[in-house]
Amino acid sequence: MASFYSFKNITKVPSAKEFYNIMLSKTQRQTPTVIRRHFKISRIRAFYMRKVKHCQTRMNERLTQIITEFPKLDTIHPFYADLFNVLYDKDHYKVALGQINIARGLIDNIAKDYVRMLKFGDSLFRCKRLKIAALGRMVKVIKRQKPNLQYLEEVRQHMGRLPIIDPLSRAIIICGYPNVGKSSFMTKVTRADVDVQSYSFTTRALYVGHMDYKYLRWQVIDTPGVLDRPLEERNLIEMQAITALAHLRAAILYFIDITEMCGYSIKEQISLLDNIKPLFTNKPLFVVCNKIDLVKPEDLNPEAKELLKGIEDRGIPILYMSTISGQGVMEVKEAACERLLAHRVEGKVSGRKVDSILNRLHLAEPAKRDSKERPAFVPMVTERTEPKKTARERINEMIMKRVEEEESDTYHYRTIDLTEHYDINPEYRTDIIPEIWDWHNIADYIDPEMFQKLEALEREERLREEAGYYAVPKIERDEMREEIRKLAEQIRERKAIMRQEAQLNNNRSHPRPTPVQARGRSLERFKGEMKRIGVEVDSVSADESKANKRSRSRSLSAAPAKKVRFESEVRSRSRSRSKPARDEAGVDDPELKLKLKKIAKKALKKKVGKMGLKGEADRFIGTKNPRHLLAGKRGIGKTERR
Amino acid sequence: MATRCRFENNNEVGVFSKLTNSYCLVSLGGNDVFYNIFEAEVGDQIPVIRTSMAGCRIIGRLSVGNRHGLLVPNSTTDTELQYLRNTLPDSVKLQRVEERLSALGNVVACNDYVALVHPDIDRETEDIIADTLKVEVFRHTIASNPLVGSYCSLSNQGGLVHPNTSTQDQDELATLLQVPIVAGTINQGSELIGAGMVVNDWCAFVGLPTTTTEISVIESIFRLNDQKPSNITSQMRSTLIDSLA
Repeated sequence: MASFYSFKNITKVPSAKEFYNIMLSKTQRQTPTVIRRHFKISRIRAFYMRKVKHCQTRMNERLTQIITEFPKLDTIHPFYADLFNVLYDKDHYKVALGQINIARGLIDNIAKDYVRMLKFGDSLFRCKRLKIAALGRMVKVIKRQKPNLQYLEEVRQHMGRLPIIDPLSRAIIICGYPNVGKSSFMTKVTRADVDVQSYSFTTRALYVGHMDYKYLRWQVIDTPGVLDRPLEERNLIEMQAITALAHLRAAILYFIDITEMCGYSIKEQISLLDNIKPLFTNKPLFVVCNKIDLVKPEDLNPEAKELLKGIEDRGIPILYMSTISGQGVMEVKEAACERLLAHRVEGKVSGRKVDSILNRLHLAEPAKRDSKERPAFVPMVTERTEPKKTARERINEMIMKRVEEEESDTYHYRTIDLTEHYDINPEYRTDIIPEIWDWHNIADYIDPEMFQKLEALEREERLREEAGYYAVPKIERDEMREEIRKLAEQIRERKAIMRQEAQLNNNRSHPRPTPVQARGRSLERFKGEMKRIGVEVDSVSADESKANKRSRSRSLSAAPAKKVRFESEVRSRSRSRSKPARDEAGVDDPELKLKLKKIAKKALKKKVGKMGLKGEADRFIGTKNPRHLLAGKRGIGKTERR
Repeated sequence: MATRCRFENNNEVGVFSKLTNSYCLVSLGGNDVFYNIFEAEVGDQIPVIRTSMAGCRIIGRLSVGNRHGLLVPNSTTDTELQYLRNTLPDSVKLQRVEERLSALGNVVACNDYVALVHPDIDRETEDIIADTLKVEVFRHTIASNPLVGSYCSLSNQGGLVHPNTSTQDQDELATLLQVPIVAGTINQGSELIGAGMVVNDWCAFVGLPTTTTEISVIESIFRLNDQKPSNITSQMRSTLIDSLA
């Protein structure tokens, strides 16, 4: 509820210069930046339109934020509306926000116009000029808002520092002439630290403190001193007090300095009370006479007594107290709170508000339904050996222990010893019972009569044993059986030996596959085989049969045998002559040829030997990219190796 | 004496603890702050037991118990059950319950003499509750809500119920339970009374945001700190009207 009237969360209002700098830089940062003359014109137009629109949206957003975040004076509580009027001047405030609103509209219109114009831009240059013009005009609009933005920022800063007063909640307002002891009462009853000085108008603004009474939270509002003069002549400081008095439905404590040391006589103080009386209608009002440590109420001059009596006759209670000695302070507080509470409750009860919570004000007392007694049960406090510790002490101890453990060298994650509080025979306390044992869930077998059952079982077992239930019967063996047994044993032994031997001989797990042998083929063998099966084979010459073998043709005619070819005497001109070998070409002198061959061989040998190649034709390259030479960073000037 | 506390940043104290007149269960947490608060407050009179149920921390919602016994849901593991048996005093009966509505704390509200149960609870469970906890069992709703355990908090001296409970319902409940009843809130307006606090005959634990008004109602209705239930209608009437309406 209280935070509803907190004005601390308004975002900072930037100055005009900051504002447009932010907006332009946003436009620059958040839109594309590269455009070329030869791009399609539609693309160029879109590029600049986007910039213009972007700038406009950002400005619009920010201005809207300003307009919405500042409280609307027409909708907030009249107390705050009036307070803002006094502090910031309602007209100025409204005009400032109105101007911002107009600026927002202007910027929107500028953007609209220029986007329309950009649609007809026919070159990059024109589009760019249009964009510059658009942004320039928007900036100009913002520049004109400089005083408004500045004013709003000041207002914002001041609002954030206003006390958070909940106008609908319980409040006690302290008012009176300057220097009558209002602030010192405030410091007495609340924890607020208000400056108390001996000169007038120490308090120049509203202050709020809180106190507790009857389970409730009460606001105490300290107001600046008020002088007795017409409303129009009051200054800003006094007007704040007046707004609080006028709009808050609170208990009013009107302070009177009965020593007259504040510089105003009792008569003057009472006349002020009469003057601002209209503000107090329908509110619990008390007149509090302060500083009774200096002047006792009995010692007052008769004239003053008469005046005070006059007040009392009008039904306004008078309380006496001294903030210095503390005498009567609590009585004043209690009286004010009680009266205000009664006043508020009365208002609520007479309205409809209470109906909805009537059931919560009801205490349902039980009607007796039987004669059974149902007393409360509070166990005795067990005696302790060590002194009792509070929760705070325990927690501190726990933290200390943990820190100590964490700092020690042998730190390991500490688990809580849950068995510490076991309510069983301490002998069994640390016994470890497995959850699952031998595939059985231990818990399934836990039984209150477990031990009796075990004992019964054991007894039964003992009886059985005694009765000879488990004795093994002796079996008689005849000779025949004995022999068979022996034989079988021998067979088994032999078998085992054989198995072992076989294993030793054949230490290969799989038998080696027999290699495929090349089958010899010969005419003789063929003939022999044919003969053996009774087939007559014609004697064919070896040459013919060989010649036939290669031919794919099925014809039976044999190809002619190869003849020696002689080079024809007359060479046809059309036939080319084969070139001499490269190593022989070009050099005629056989001696030189030999020498060159030697040199070439030597060079080749060198190369082959160095690279570990097999011969001239070996093109083998060991490792193409040796890692140790190529991987890693390059040092200074090392481009080939690392 | 009502103590404000919270379990690891959670103000629903009644979810993570169970307080009765003969033992107190608190949930096993990352640290022992919550446990230490309970131990300091009630450790002198009753054992404070750190435990989990079915591996969960929400022990207050899963179990129901009073001075005579403790009922835990079917999902409680054997180890947890054995641990609880070892730690609880011998006078407390411990029983695992086969019940479809397994969050027993939500469906049963009881003190040492009377229990309110969810209208849909099993007949067998009802019998188990009556036998183990030695209570009279009544099927009832609170503010027409069947989750009686969530919406009320009972001790032998009083009861706090859902804020929307009508005056007639309160009177009926008071007669059934034979303790004074008041409607109220916890944890700054929360309706989940059972989840927000735990109470026995001499102390209570409430969530941190609970207001002074709420605490004073609790102390009066449960007769803590020598307060009387009649305070609610006499001394605190104006305070209540002003803070509620």
